[in-house]
Amino acid sequence: MKLLTKTSLNYLSVTLFVFLFGTVAFYYLLRYQVNQNINIELEKRKSSILNQLLSAHASVYTPPNQNEKVVITPLKSIKTPQLNFQDTIFFVHKENKFVPFRQLGFVASFNSNDFYVQIYKSLEETDNLIIRVFMIMTFVVFLIIISLLIMVRHTSLKAWNVFYDTIDKVNNYDINSHNEFALEQSEVKEFDDLNHGLIKMTNRINKDFLNMKEYTENASHEIQTPLAIINAKMEVLLQSENLDEKQMKAVADAYEASNRLSKLNKTLLLLAKIENRQFPESINVDPVALINNQLDNLEDLIESKDIHVEKHFDEAVILKMNPYLADVLLSNLIRNAIRHNLKGGELIINCNEKYIKVSNSGHELKVDKETIFERFHKQSSSPESLGLGLSIVQKICEVYDFGVSYAYENNMHHFTIDFYPNKIS
Amino acid sequence: MKILIVEDEETLTDSIVEYLHEEGHICEAVYNFYDAIDKIESFDYDCIVVDINLPDGSGLDIIKHIKKSSKPVGIIIISARNSLENRIEGLDIGADNYLTKPFHLAELNAHLKSINRRINFSGNDHIIINEIKLIPSDHAVFINNKELKLTRKEFELLVFFISNKNKVITKSSLAEHLWGDYMDTADSFDFIYTHIKNLRNKLLKEGCTDYIKTVYGLGYKFDLTQF
Repeated sequence: MKLLTKTSLNYLSVTLFVFLFGTVAFYYLLRYQVNQNINIELEKRKSSILNQLLSAHASVYTPPNQNEKVVITPLKSIKTPQLNFQDTIFFVHKENKFVPFRQLGFVASFNSNDFYVQIYKSLEETDNLIIRVFMIMTFVVFLIIISLLIMVRHTSLKAWNVFYDTIDKVNNYDINSHNEFALEQSEVKEFDDLNHGLIKMTNRINKDFLNMKEYTENASHEIQTPLAIINAKMEVLLQSENLDEKQMKAVADAYEASNRLSKLNKTLLLLAKIENRQFPESINVDPVALINNQLDNLEDLIESKDIHVEKHFDEAVILKMNPYLADVLLSNLIRNAIRHNLKGGELIINCNEKYIKVSNSGHELKVDKETIFERFHKQSSSPESLGLGLSIVQKICEVYDFGVSYAYENNMHHFTIDFYPNKIS
Repeated sequence: MKILIVEDEETLTDSIVEYLHEEGHICEAVYNFYDAIDKIESFDYDCIVVDINLPDGSGLDIIKHIKKSSKPVGIIIISARNSLENRIEGLDIGADNYLTKPFHLAELNAHLKSINRRINFSGNDHIIINEIKLIPSDHAVFINNKELKLTRKEFELLVFFISNKNKVITKSSLAEHLWGDYMDTADSFDFIYTHIKNLRNKLLKEGCTDYIKTVYGLGYKFDLTQF
């Protein structure tokens, strides 16, 4: 549940409770106050009646208006006279409805006779007033609650939007992407502090990451020269006449190992450079020409494995790429397809403006398809294979936002490079 | 052939000099920029092998210096840098080849031989080794004056062998020479075996002596010493 929804719900439940309780209390308080006023009025009339009775004849007395009804009965006929304020209802013929009245009963003496006097006051008007006041008050309070809720939600939403934006950006944070990690400014100090902290943190991580990448690259670079020395010394040593077979074998093994090391180092260096985006310049590259060139270069390998090559090329396919990376990409795909091909197998290359697909015959992989592009993933245990070829393919595709996928269908391995992976065709 | 090596790693330079010396080249080595300029001004060389990163200057400036004179000098760059820009820059200012460290001495030697042929014979040379006659510019091979058809790779292989005759050539340097140095060359050793078998058979069929010897499973040798 969102924090805003939670606070809104809390706010609503509390205000509704207070609102209900408050309106009931308000109604009774209002009622009580009005009754008090009427009581005072009735008391006043009581004393004025008593005064009138003292100074004049009862017949003189006429009730001021019909809302202020007075009933006088001889006390003897009343068994239990009610001597306090009471609410009661009368049927008023004129209005043809029941009307609430408040009554006050008292005993008055006139000409040494005791009378029970009941004076009434209609509550119709005051009741109407109470209801109106109550309605207006309820409406106003209700309005205040709703507008407060809307206002709080609105301002919170605005403030939280920055927070949601931050969460979104943190979720999509990719240390390999070369976009700057920028967060929105917030008017709320806490969110601003959070964003500042996050920016500081990512900057630090980025710096460390860059340092590490640079270190990898520099290390690989520095290894090149000592490797060159080792290789050169070995090569010279191999030429010497007076080595016996055993020594020769030892030198040869060491030589091959250092060769593998230098190849590995070169490849890792290339990977690091691709990751560091050190191949910025791109020109129009003709992949068909590059593929043909590669096939030409590898012609003998293809022949020695009796591989049947099938080419489906669209004319005039142009890619905007670094020429070197384009060559490395296609070379790796094609070499891979030749290496893992069967004797007498097939190599089918499709190339059009949407994708390049390289398919080759082969047995199904025993390992997970997902790991095929990982570094040092090897199907064969052949020591000469570095297991970096497809990893390079993937890295290059990352640079140019190409989609790269692998599938195994009809006893063939298919590698597809999709130039527009985000376009739905 | 007179060669100047400009490389600040003395041990590497020593190996290069030793290897090339056995090939019958006259080889001199300097370890820094100023000695290199000094040597170039004082003597004539057929070819200069130069490292780009020198302690007191750039190998590229040495190349520019050489190019100012009109003497035909072959230039091979050896560098630890292998980016395309470095390559293009080096070749742009007039280098003939660009080798990335670490490289095979056999590869360097083959390049030197090719430069030598280009400079001293204007490319119209032919190599004659006993009964074999090679015309590199035409990609033609004659055994006892009879033309032998070879595939392009077989031809390259033969030229590489002859450039490094009497030397042990490792399988990896052969593989790199034929298919470039990048990435996996997992099965290339098998391919090399196939190629060499084919080449040998073709040569033998034409009555050529079997010069190609296998060396303890580590490589091959185009051995002329026993004949």
